[in-house]
Amino acid sequence: MFRAGRIIKFCTIAAVFILLEVAALIMLKNNGPMQNIWISKGTHAVQAVIWGGTERIRDYFSLRKQNEKLAEENFRLSQAVRQYGQMYGNLPADSIPEVIGNYRYQEAEVVKVSNNKQHNYLIIDKGAADGISAMSGIITSQGVIGIIDAVGEHYSYARSFKNSGMVVSARIGRTGAAGEIIWDGISSNGAILREIPRHIPLHQGDTVYTSGFSSIFPADIPLGTTREATVVNGSTYNIGVTLFADFSAIRYVTVVNNMNTDEIKELEDSNENQL
Amino acid sequence: MRISFNFIPMYLMLVIAQILICNFVNIGPYVSLSILPAMVLCIPMSVPVIPAMIAAAVSGLAVDWLAEGIIGLNMLAIVPVALVRNAVIPLLFGKDCSERGERFSIHKNGLLKVSAAIFICQTIFLAIYIVADGAGTRPFLFNLVKFAVSLLCSCLLSIPVTDMLTSPEKK
Repeated sequence: MFRAGRIIKFCTIAAVFILLEVAALIMLKNNGPMQNIWISKGTHAVQAVIWGGTERIRDYFSLRKQNEKLAEENFRLSQAVRQYGQMYGNLPADSIPEVIGNYRYQEAEVVKVSNNKQHNYLIIDKGAADGISAMSGIITSQGVIGIIDAVGEHYSYARSFKNSGMVVSARIGRTGAAGEIIWDGISSNGAILREIPRHIPLHQGDTVYTSGFSSIFPADIPLGTTREATVVNGSTYNIGVTLFADFSAIRYVTVVNNMNTDEIKELEDSNENQL
Repeated sequence: MRISFNFIPMYLMLVIAQILICNFVNIGPYVSLSILPAMVLCIPMSVPVIPAMIAAAVSGLAVDWLAEGIIGLNMLAIVPVALVRNAVIPLLFGKDCSERGERFSIHKNGLLKVSAAIFICQTIFLAIYIVADGAGTRPFLFNLVKFAVSLLCSCLLSIPVTDMLTSPEKK
């Protein structure tokens, strides 16, 4: 009660003070030509700060909507690029299909992600109801993000690339030697490209792409750039890779599903049985 | 709210004195003499902040109106002095002075503390007054020199004014 009284008293004093000062400023503005210009300049500066501030706040709250629009647009453009890559021809934008080659692409939003463990995971907002199946890949324009392990009705659980058990087939350049890339388990953007034959000439800064040898990810998705290399067992290189993907800022992704996975798997199984 | 009987006529006389100073005492462009801050400082502590601010505003407005100046200039500068008066007095003369509504004086609190209180009030008043008077058209150095010279002269002039308004004989 006492505190409330003090607050009321403080507010009243502040209001009277502001009122008297504003009255003085108005009188000053109306009676001094120089003061008129000076006060007008000050008023405009204050107005600019307030309007700028409110505009920034409005922009901030509309960021989510803009992000969603951009992600949609980005997905559409990525599809177009993939299609042009395959067809080398021009097609109108509205005729871009979900399926390109053997792969079906679908955009999704990450709803949960873990980044600070050895076995990281992510959950996306698409599930069986949206046509997602297990063993689909998750990619962005910056690289491989993970592989879907379990599918719910509306959500899917995926193993992150930042998982010590996850291996992806990759190659140096679009036509270079292929090996397998895994997360280095230490840094958020570090990986190791293993099993590159020793006779292959290496240059730091070369881009590493997916090889397309796995049935999960299409070829030529850029993953990162090469760093220093070390020789392992005298015959192969282990090459450090700086990943393009920023896993701490992942939000919008693309789910990629090889429609011939079952056929490939069947073929593999039957041949393994014969051997 | 208890106000000494002699305080109000004395205060009014000093407002007239300030008007006369503004109209007839022209020492130069670098000097701006003002006793208003000292007068507002001497308003008894039994007077609450809001009436003190209104009294200060009316005094400033009277000086602006009747002297050859821009209306609103003294008012703009003196109201903040009335606001900070309630913080300056307990700070320099102790909380007892403000809580019991006692009046300070040179005899009771010493010249040094009273001068310090005048200095703070004059600084606030002159800073606002000189900036608003120049309205961004005068060089910073000019304003600085004017501020320093005016502060010195006004503080010296304010000491006898404060003594007149606060000495026990005047009660």
